[in-house]
Amino acid sequence: MRLESFPRLAVGVINMKIDVWLYGVLSMYASEKAEKGFASVQLELSEGTKVGELLKTLNMPTEERGITFINGKLSALPGLQPDLNQELKDEDRISFFDHRSMWPFQYRHGAAMASGLNQILSTNPETIMHHKQKGED
Amino acid sequence: MWVLRINMSDQSYKLEELPEKYKLLYGRALTSQMVYDEVPPLCHALGLNNKLVFSAGVVTGTAAPTSARVSVGGKSPLTGGIKEANAGTAWGPDLAKMRVRALVVEGLPEKKDVYWGAKVKWDDEAGKPDVEFFDATEHIGKDVYEVYPQIFEKFGEKVSIASMGTAGELGYGNSGVVFNDMARRPSRYAGRGGLGAVMASKRLKFIILDAKGAPGIDMVDKSLFDEGRKKLIDAIRSHPISQPKGGLNSYGTAVLINILNEAGGLPTRNFSAGRFEGAAKTSGEAIFETNKERMGKEIYNHACSPGCIIQCSNTYYNEDQTEATSCIEYESTWALGANLGVDNLDDIATMVQLCNAYGLDTIETGGTLGVAMEGGLLEFGDSKGAIQMIHEMGKGTAVGRTLGGGTEVTGKIYGVKRVPAVKGQGMPAYEPRAVKGIGITYATTTMGADHTAGYTIAPEILGVSGKLDPLSPEGKAALSRAFQATTAFIDSCGHCLFIAFPILDIATGFEGMIQECNGVLGTNWNADDIVAYGAETLKVERKFNEAAGIGKEADRIPEFMKIEPLPPHNQIFDIPDEALDSVFEDL
Ligand code: SF4
Repeated sequence: MRLESFPRLAVGVINMKIDVWLYGVLSMYASEKAEKGFASVQLELSEGTKVGELLKTLNMPTEERGITFINGKLSALPGLQPDLNQELKDEDRISFFDHRSMWPFQYRHGAAMASGLNQILSTNPETIMHHKQKGED
Repeated sequence: MWVLRINMSDQSYKLEELPEKYKLLYGRALTSQMVYDEVPPLCHALGLNNKLVFSAGVVTGTAAPTSARVSVGGKSPLTGGIKEANAGTAWGPDLAKMRVRALVVEGLPEKKDVYWGAKVKWDDEAGKPDVEFFDATEHIGKDVYEVYPQIFEKFGEKVSIASMGTAGELGYGNSGVVFNDMARRPSRYAGRGGLGAVMASKRLKFIILDAKGAPGIDMVDKSLFDEGRKKLIDAIRSHPISQPKGGLNSYGTAVLINILNEAGGLPTRNFSAGRFEGAAKTSGEAIFETNKERMGKEIYNHACSPGCIIQCSNTYYNEDQTEATSCIEYESTWALGANLGVDNLDDIATMVQLCNAYGLDTIETGGTLGVAMEGGLLEFGDSKGAIQMIHEMGKGTAVGRTLGGGTEVTGKIYGVKRVPAVKGQGMPAYEPRAVKGIGITYATTTMGADHTAGYTIAPEILGVSGKLDPLSPEGKAALSRAFQATTAFIDSCGHCLFIAFPILDIATGFEGMIQECNGVLGTNWNADDIVAYGAETLKVERKFNEAAGIGKEADRIPEFMKIEPLPPHNQIFDIPDEALDSVFEDL
């Protein structure tokens, strides 16, 4: 997929490629036809682009996403998104799941997490064990 | 309340009053206690002295949501240790409604070539259940999908049936006990650990339950039960995972495929990698979309058993709109998909259907074929060859019987050193090197590698937080112990384990579950009692295993996981043995 199909937001030199995977209903945020149940797109972005900026590029409101991975490390859970300011790097793989997806704690207990979630785990572990955050529907 | 003993040595039965000491034991708590009390730990699993014990849960047979579970226990021919496997099926409530707390199959007939059926029905006049035996030899050696309709035709559509397939008849360590689902398919398996072979060793082909006229469940405090039931229903209905058209109802348990794949924890090609390039094609989302395309509409999942409001069980359709199979679970699509390097959903569906038809456990079958592929019997990715091998297993050819021994046996025969098994049981679909916590549970559960051994409820309730660092090995070990105890309780209360998803987040749902139990039993249990109840069960199971020669030295992850880094994270399983030992140190 070509960058031209997205509104250009990032300023500066376009010098990194990001591999974006959109699962379930989120596949509609890919501008090309999705495969069965997912879409995979390659984006060219400028160095230092943050997760939040990537979401804008995709036109995807951050509330639409639940579980998120950056290079296989869990970076966000439904209602818990400490990754918005995480900077992406060249050749990163970032994957977004919709709210129907799940990963119960007993099946992710001890799995790799991005720095934001790791920090929360060390200060407030119960938050991480939950799937759904308080006040979220 | 009774213990119903079916003695296969002479095809007789006995109805005993439930002993006082079993009064509060149900489901897994009771099957494990009775196996401990009555089965010599060193007996041969397929011999005279093993027993097969069936028990439904505390609230099974009531109006509690998602509670039609039945536990099956015995000594496992696969692990040599204690086994509890459970299934969701109308058979559970039917047993409970006849007030049979435990149905025990014991003895062994001298004649090997005659198989029997036992029909248990409610005798209204006598006010108790009775049993009739019939010759079932004509149904041996057949596809259970061919056999079940004949039995329903003979005994009526309202009965429920427990049985096993040719895998059990052939004595495989890989053979389950099967029950009917709501559409009378023989598809709900208490699959793990070879209990199908135990049932077949006793030459008992069917246990048919006819609960017509049975009195149902007695409750001490109906209004407390109703209050609890309502809370649990609200929790299930409002959680995104368990609510109607939510995660499980839309995508089934296979919703986990893409997640574990992205996490780098989806065991691929016999546990040689943690990510499979074809995973998305085998996922719950792909099943949903394929059905939508083939059937021209969105199809949501159904209940496997009466009263389930989560309804996670899928049906997969062929291109010509006929049914390919029901149901493709996460574990099945992984075992016969990523684990074999197969990304063809139609072929996976065929394999699932064949496993059900022959009475094989899909997880053990996939684990076995993965090891056999590594050993050179087939190429990874050869789905047609894998289908052929499942036929050979079901038909009992020489190679088929070899594979029927399971993952570990097959590894020995093919000289493979990467054998993903613990205590002789093949590992399910979560890579311990990527998800260390579940590795601890795989290693230490009494059941052999088992993904359903460590479910959790709200951490605040478990009281585990604050006291430990969840990142440390000791912290993970403590969590694993708490999870395993909780799970043993849920396996005893009669609810499907999947209620753990909503009650993890919604505390009132958890309260509701306890109130339901207190309402039925007249107990005054709180959260601590629940964990203690589960821990008691674990203790009994560990004592049995120790006496069977399976001590804490067996609480280990296979060596290759400690030395081979797993891509993409390139991690090994680095939890020290002491941490594994600490899980049950002060149980
Ligand atoms: S949640 Fe799924 S497995 Fe559990 S009882 Fe319901 S349909 Fe069966």
